[in-house]
Amino acid sequence: MRSNRVKLFAVLACVLGLVAVACSSDSGNDTDDNQQDTASLLDEVRDRDQLICGTRDDLTGFAQKNSEGEFEGFDVEFCKVIAAGILGDATKVEFKALGPERFTSVQAGEVDILFRNATATASRDGREGLAFPFTTVYDGQRMMVSGDSDITSLDDMDGASICVVQGTTTELNLNAVLGARGISFNPVLYSSHTELREAYQAGLCEGYTADGSALFVYKFTSEQAGGPQQRILDEVMSKEPLGAVIADGDSKWEQAVTWVMRATIQAWEFGLDSTNINSYSGNDVNILNFLGRNDFDPGLGLDRDFAINVVDQVGNYKEIYDRTLGATGLIMEGSYNRLWSDGGLHYAPPYR
Amino acid sequence: MSEVMSNGVMSEVMSAEALMPSKKLSARGWMRANLFNRWYNAVLTLILALVIAYLGFRSIRYLFWTAEWEPVRANLTLFMIGSFPRDEQWRVVVQLLLLAAAFGVIWGSMIGASRDRAAQSGSPFSAEPGWVALRRWWGLVLLLGVLLLAAWGILPLVLAFGCIALIFMLRRIAMRLASKVRIYAWFGGYVLLIASWQIVSGTGGSAWFWAAGLLAFWGIRTVRKKDLTPRLPLTLVAIVGGGAVAWAIYTFILNGLINFSGVGWDNWSGFHLNLIAATISIIAAFPLGLILALGRRSSLPAIRWLCVTYIELIRGVPLIGLLFIGNSLLGFFIDNDPFIDFFLDTPLSQISRAIVIMSLFTAAYLAEVIRGGLEATPRGQTEAGQSVGLSPWQITSRIVMPQTLRASIPAIVGQFISLLKDSSLLSIIAVSEILRVRASVHSQGAFTTLGTAETLVFIAFAFWAFAFTWSRESQRLEKHLGVGER
Repeated sequence: MRSNRVKLFAVLACVLGLVAVACSSDSGNDTDDNQQDTASLLDEVRDRDQLICGTRDDLTGFAQKNSEGEFEGFDVEFCKVIAAGILGDATKVEFKALGPERFTSVQAGEVDILFRNATATASRDGREGLAFPFTTVYDGQRMMVSGDSDITSLDDMDGASICVVQGTTTELNLNAVLGARGISFNPVLYSSHTELREAYQAGLCEGYTADGSALFVYKFTSEQAGGPQQRILDEVMSKEPLGAVIADGDSKWEQAVTWVMRATIQAWEFGLDSTNINSYSGNDVNILNFLGRNDFDPGLGLDRDFAINVVDQVGNYKEIYDRTLGATGLIMEGSYNRLWSDGGLHYAPPYR
Repeated sequence: MSEVMSNGVMSEVMSAEALMPSKKLSARGWMRANLFNRWYNAVLTLILALVIAYLGFRSIRYLFWTAEWEPVRANLTLFMIGSFPRDEQWRVVVQLLLLAAAFGVIWGSMIGASRDRAAQSGSPFSAEPGWVALRRWWGLVLLLGVLLLAAWGILPLVLAFGCIALIFMLRRIAMRLASKVRIYAWFGGYVLLIASWQIVSGTGGSAWFWAAGLLAFWGIRTVRKKDLTPRLPLTLVAIVGGGAVAWAIYTFILNGLINFSGVGWDNWSGFHLNLIAATISIIAAFPLGLILALGRRSSLPAIRWLCVTYIELIRGVPLIGLLFIGNSLLGFFIDNDPFIDFFLDTPLSQISRAIVIMSLFTAAYLAEVIRGGLEATPRGQTEAGQSVGLSPWQITSRIVMPQTLRASIPAIVGQFISLLKDSSLLSIIAVSEILRVRASVHSQGAFTTLGTAETLVFIAFAFWAFAFTWSRESQRLEKHLGVGER
């Protein structure tokens, strides 16, 4: 009995000792970070000197990993745009590949910003506590069938099996659009594009529906690799504005990232790109303001030369688009992803 | 009781052996006796031979001719270490060398120890030659061969054969050490293991903390030359004290002199991550499972119900569900907790959370496996211990546990193998383990539709090589422990 009590005391002493050691260790490195709960993410990112950007690792053209394990693609470039605009260095990004619970990571603050071709919708903006500051790609849902299929429009798809990724707006749209036309179809659900593509290749479904961008990229890369011909139907089944996602309620962070992304459009409109932005010698006041050469500060909390950093280190919108999506078969011509002056939807409010 | 039983079984086995023909049949005779002894057996043999030949032909044609291995070959590094920073790749190389060294030392020491035991009891002993072991591990050797073939070059060849040479050299040296010196070899092997972990994970020092604690335990044990189990509290105090001193030295002195910064958990990926995640989970789950199994049989209701609740709760939930909970929910409340940060090298990342979940999950299953072993240990064993005046702790650790663990080895190893394979479930929460890497590979422009089956075959082969080798080793251990003990 006595020895038991001694044992108990000894074990307690051990636990106390451990706690003491643990506590003494944080007094050194744990400054009062927790007191600044009200501070903006903008300051936090600057203090950290690193942007944590949520993206994905499996969507060709948008965000993928190359054989060196580096992230690349359109969404990845926009992570770099944010880092260049806010930290002045496009390489200061930590990429996090996220799965279907991508929005939870934004809400929990595990990522500062999300570029994972997510569609802006009302309920995501409202109920899910997210904010969609900028649309990077105006996309729409399309349907792809095999090149030798006799399906030429959605109306021919009565009774057809259609592959779709589960839990996406794509799945909801498919039901809504085909339901409204009174077409009964057989949905085949997959949890990721990788599995879906394999099922489609194996002929498990006649139609493959996804954002048009993903389908064009698939068609292009698979036909280049000598795969069978594919056909993408003309009907556009939905509006899919894809873009950046951040958590609600941080207006300082929101306006900073919004204007950094708008800079890629503004530079395009001004005719500035990574090759000529540093050598601009004109005297257009708007451009000089934009480049931070004048004594102009709109009070966005950004460095005066943020636009130069973005365009010089990453590029303007067209450059980014052409070397990622353009190179994988998504042609800008004829799409909404052109400048407003050219019949597209990309339009940046004036920087003044 | 078991004596009588096993005698009965033994005699049956003996009589069955006596009935078997003693002389070896020739190949032709064997075929006549086994494959063509009746007309219907002959027909069956012929049909099956055709089926096997056809399948074999198709498989070989696929593997060597029609399959597109280019996605695997071009992304071999990606499959193995994922997005581990390429300029830090030397860390993985050093880790491999350290692991090889640790393996060689520990293996040699084990052989030396069993040779000494044999010498004590006067039974003959002959060490198994190294190449016999290599033959046993043919699965792993095959995997290594395939990897070397795919990554054809001088450096991988030198590394692979360097590791093998290191293993056998150190094994040979450690094997011949005198039993007095062997304790240092055990230490050395242990330190090498810890170092192999530190070389990748870098700063933090907590690994060294635990290492120092365990070394303190061994040190006291050696100095006192007696069983420490009755003095468990004192020992724990010594471990924690020794560990704290070692940690202080490491943090305040060594860390200032040498920069140990490494690669954080979040950058580990590929098959490297599968193996690490499974290994850590195994190491963490085993003691926890042991405690839970004992707790479930405890006479204190509070402890018993706590353990029962834990085990049944965890076993009632699928691993995927737990992973989702760990991934999505835990992030809300335990991130940036200074207490947790101290024990882990980096703040709780997505990967470490997943590893914690895997450990907790496996512990519940292990607890049931070990409890099965406990139930199988005859009650008389405990009573015998009580009658000679051993304390409950001594009875458990010296009498019951050894028998229990021996009885549950196959199931425990089975659990570990399934844990290794379950690590591929991490792909669901977008941790880039090998299966997730495959998704990345097929998002590369050139491989969107090319070789999608081949990458799966390759991944399955990598898992098989490890699982198969572990299972072979467990069979051997089982046989080894069972011989002449019961």
